[in-house]
Amino acid sequence: MNVGLSDADLGPRIAAGDREAEAEMCRRMGPRIRLYGLRHLRSPSAADDLVQQVLLKVLEALRSARLREPDKLFQFVLGTCRMTVLDLRRSSYRQEALLVMFGGDLVPDPPPIPRLDDRQLARCVQALKERERSVVVMTFYDEQTAAETARFLGISEANVRVIRHRAIQQLRACMGATL
Amino acid sequence: MTTQHLGGPNDCPNPIEAAVLMDYWLAALPSAAEEGVEQHLMTCDGCGDRLREVIAIAEGLRALARSGSLQVVISDQFVKHAAETGLRVREYAPPRGESVQCTVAADDDLLVARLAVGLTTASRVDLSWCDPRGIEHQRMADIPIRAEAGSVICQQSITWAKASPTATMIARLVAIDDKGDERLLGEYTFHHTRTIPGPPGWGRP
Repeated sequence: MNVGLSDADLGPRIAAGDREAEAEMCRRMGPRIRLYGLRHLRSPSAADDLVQQVLLKVLEALRSARLREPDKLFQFVLGTCRMTVLDLRRSSYRQEALLVMFGGDLVPDPPPIPRLDDRQLARCVQALKERERSVVVMTFYDEQTAAETARFLGISEANVRVIRHRAIQQLRACMGATL
Repeated sequence: MTTQHLGGPNDCPNPIEAAVLMDYWLAALPSAAEEGVEQHLMTCDGCGDRLREVIAIAEGLRALARSGSLQVVISDQFVKHAAETGLRVREYAPPRGESVQCTVAADDDLLVARLAVGLTTASRVDLSWCDPRGIEHQRMADIPIRAEAGSVICQQSITWAKASPTATMIARLVAIDDKGDERLLGEYTFHHTRTIPGPPGWGRP
């Protein structure tokens, strides 16, 4: 295992043919890429596809020693994520054949999204002040923007954000969140 | 926020605030701030774990908002959007001072009361739910209003309504002044008839 290695150590080792370093890079970067994918693609399966495609590209680059500054690995991965999301949006499954061949080996089990107690969450939301509850429901129902919610409430977007932050803070406390 | 520490350990000396993570998830950050968050997340598993908690809360709230089970004041735009996205919205709009016969079906998704009212002279408005004897069962204090809206739209919990026996409820919109005195703005009576088969969730009041 190469768990003691820094991100910057991984690139040169992979270029030197260290397969364990490859596995460690995938184990480490996979969950981070998946979070990026969840945020930008809004779909767990699309996020999994992104993980596969990005890891393929990054591994290929590292094996051929194309990453000149090893301490910029995270930037390289992030840049590859961005380019791949753009590609995915342009044409969904251009690399499908590659994924069928290699994809299954590349995706480490991602850390699960924590499960919430739905009933407790409902109780916590119902305990919010009316204005806060309205903001929360309209924000999260379909990720309505602060501008749309502000128009309804007749207040500024900044105020909507303040109300939303306050409500989320209360909900986290009510749910016993650890963050 | 830092992007300097190494990947691996699940702690973070300079964690991203939960509010910032929520804004990031909601795509509500300016692009420069989003760039900073993404660089940080690409090196920090501790903040990645925290983002997963934020996503869990956001997804829980989304499911809850779509369940129709909350009692909440909403916008006309919200109701329209819900209907456009395929939700079955049952809506009642009794004129001020009048009553309406209403029910709810098993396949309804949202239940909405549209209460026509003049709000131009009110700064704080409460929505009180009473039984026919005038006994208040619930008060939604200081509901969000817009003076020019001409109505208050309240989503009633569909879960509650589907379990409810045949009953009459009265909605009262009251303006509250600085001294705490109340002024009735409108009263609306809902004669609910249970049409869903099976026993109600509780007895008739």
